[in-house]
Amino acid sequence: MADKLGYLFVDHRASPGLTPEQARLNGYDPKLAAEGKLFEADTMRCAHCPNVVIRNPDRIRARSSCLKCGDKYICDNCAFLASQPDYVHKPFQAKLDETYENLLKLQTTTSLDHLFSKDA
Amino acid sequence: MTKRIFSNPSFTPTAQADGALTSSTYMAIKGGSATMQVTIYEVFETGQASATGYNAMCLAYASTLETTPTALALPVTTGYVNPNGGALSTTEVAFTAASTGPTRAAATTLPRLRLGFNPYGGIVRWTPAPSTEWTQFGNSTNGGETLLSAENYGTAAAMAANIVYEIV
Repeated sequence: MADKLGYLFVDHRASPGLTPEQARLNGYDPKLAAEGKLFEADTMRCAHCPNVVIRNPDRIRARSSCLKCGDKYICDNCAFLASQPDYVHKPFQAKLDETYENLLKLQTTTSLDHLFSKDA
Repeated sequence: MTKRIFSNPSFTPTAQADGALTSSTYMAIKGGSATMQVTIYEVFETGQASATGYNAMCLAYASTLETTPTALALPVTTGYVNPNGGALSTTEVAFTAASTGPTRAAATTLPRLRLGFNPYGGIVRWTPAPSTEWTQFGNSTNGGETLLSAENYGTAAAMAANIVYEIV
C-alpha cells in the first residue's frame, strides 16, 4: 500500500514573506512563500531513513519506493544505496527495533553478568 | 501513552551555526532513558516580530548533548493533552536552556527538517502522516534528542512554537 502523506502549511498571507533564496532553502515554492501567499504541500518520510521531504509537484522523474517495505516511499539517497549490489535491506523501523532489542539484551546481559560475578 | 504539547509562547531564536546553542533560543526534547522513543506529531510556529525578518527554523537531532538542562519555567510548558494520561515513571526531558547548550547535528547522513518562515506575520504548521513521524530513540547523540532552533541564515525574531509529541 502506498504511503500516506504529511501536510505542510506555510502561511505568509499577512506577512512580507520570504525571499526566493530563503524559500528555496526550505524547499518551498518561492512564488507561494512570498508576500501575501500561502504554501501548502504534501510531505513524505523515507521508509529507510528519517528524512522528511516536501513533495515537488513538478517532478517528472519517478519516485522510488521499496517493495519490501510495502511499497513505501524511499528518498533518492536511499534509492541509490538500495540499488547497490551489496545493499542489505534495513528499514528505519527495523533499525529502531534492532536498537531497542540490543539495548534490552544489553540490560539483560548486564544483570546476568552481575549475577555470575556474585556467584564467582 | 498520551500525546503531550511542548509549548513556548514567546522566544527569540538566534541564527547561529551548528555549535552549542544559546539558552532560550531553542526548544529541545531528550529521551528520558536509553530505550525511550519519542514521536513528534506536529510542529507549529507563529511569528511575533514587528518587522520583517527570517527565522531559519529547523528540526534536527543533537550531536552533542547539553550539560545540566534547566527545568522548564512558566510560561513554557509541557503536559498531557488528555488529563487522564498516566504519569510515567521515567519522563522525557523538555528544556529551553542548559549550562552548556546542545549542539545541532550537522552530519549529511542525519535528517534536518527546515521549517523557516518570516516572523512578521508568518505561520508554519507541519503534520506528518501516520507512521512517517519524526522519531527519536534513546537519550544519546544523533537520534536521542531533537532540537527546534534557527540555522545561521538571516536575522531571527520573536516567535511562538508548539511541538506535539508522544512517549511511545
